[in-house]
Amino acid sequence: MNPKRPELPREFVASHKRRRMIDAIAELSAERGYEATKIAAVVRRAGVARKTLYDNFDGKEDLFLAALDAGFGEMRERVEAACMETDAVWQKKVETALGAFLEFVAERPALARACLVEALSATPTSAGRYDAALRGYVELLQRSTPAETRLPDTIEETLVGGVAWIINQQIRRGAAAEAVELLPELSEFILSPYQGVAEIGSIPQSESDSTVPDSST
Amino acid sequence: MDRLPRGRHGLSPEFVARNQRERLITGLTEVLFEVGYQRTTVSLIGQRASVSKSDFYKHFESKDDCFFAAYDEAVERIRESVLAACGKYTKAQWPERVRAGVESLLSTLAADPALASISLVEGLRAGRGVYDRYQAAVESFVVYLCDGAPEAPAGGEVPEATDEAVVGGIASLLGRRVLAGEAEQIGQLLPEVLEFALTPYLGTVEARRIISAG
Repeated sequence: MNPKRPELPREFVASHKRRRMIDAIAELSAERGYEATKIAAVVRRAGVARKTLYDNFDGKEDLFLAALDAGFGEMRERVEAACMETDAVWQKKVETALGAFLEFVAERPALARACLVEALSATPTSAGRYDAALRGYVELLQRSTPAETRLPDTIEETLVGGVAWIINQQIRRGAAAEAVELLPELSEFILSPYQGVAEIGSIPQSESDSTVPDSST
Repeated sequence: MDRLPRGRHGLSPEFVARNQRERLITGLTEVLFEVGYQRTTVSLIGQRASVSKSDFYKHFESKDDCFFAAYDEAVERIRESVLAACGKYTKAQWPERVRAGVESLLSTLAADPALASISLVEGLRAGRGVYDRYQAAVESFVVYLCDGAPEAPAGGEVPEATDEAVVGGIASLLGRRVLAGEAEQIGQLLPEVLEFALTPYLGTVEARRIISAG
């Protein structure tokens, strides 16, 4: 018997409900796609009243965007924490950060799918969120690599876009859980252009000046 | 594309139908570029193409049906121009072939921002049906890149995911530029895109030598 159920603080309950609605739309859109996800199903999955949903969010898109913000936020936190926790050489840092990203995909498959697959095609605003997140990782990569191995910005954008594409494919294949296995390949993919530039840097100027584009371009 | 003359013109019904269909596809591609997927309607497409709504429905079941046809056609146009450019070189001339392919990809997109937009941006915005087509299109280009590609510069194998990551990375970059309204300047990205595409296979030194020699 439980004569008096201890009362949980109101804010706790509210934020817990919010969380459940966010998880529900992430799961449902992962299962059936954003378009086919109905508010009624979200409410049922989250176990909240329809009114609660509309008290917290303007509607389906608003809730989905909140899920993306939660997903991209957690992803970024994990990646940055990984960067901080190692004092190793920058290559190792990039690899550790990439590993943290892949772990996020493996451990949070529904959120990862919402952010890296559904966001692209759900609504123009959600596509914008995806784009902003990608840009954030391009900047992080630029900050994490030493000045003497600078690549043209476009290449960094392509490297990040390439990794995102591979993960997108991996998720769509239903293999998010195995994303971590891609770490060696993907870190080689990201690091090898920098390594190449570092090697060029060690070539005497007379041989390399005609082949290295002006750094201002 | 101009509308056909009204009234008696002696054109065969098949010709008229094909012409209408093509106009509708062009109309959709243009309207889409101007107002985005969500605000593109059957009446706007019809107006642009000078085709009545009832004739629209003789060719397509819905806006999406027309969209799919336009999407497939856009991808085929890009594919044709890329393959025609690659076809000037043999497999043994791999770097030159990739260069020609990338060059033609960029110039085809730069010359026609509406084409660039439907294939790289709106394809992703229009829901899952088109997203699957986008994915299939990107994957189909992977073969052109790998065909005849050398082993990794250090003698080892190029990791399996690399080919896909290169093509997907280029598509992502180009899509972001189109979205930013910079489709016409895409041609300027040639050196960087080429460096990105060649480096995993040739190493930075060789890739840059080829780019500056071009």
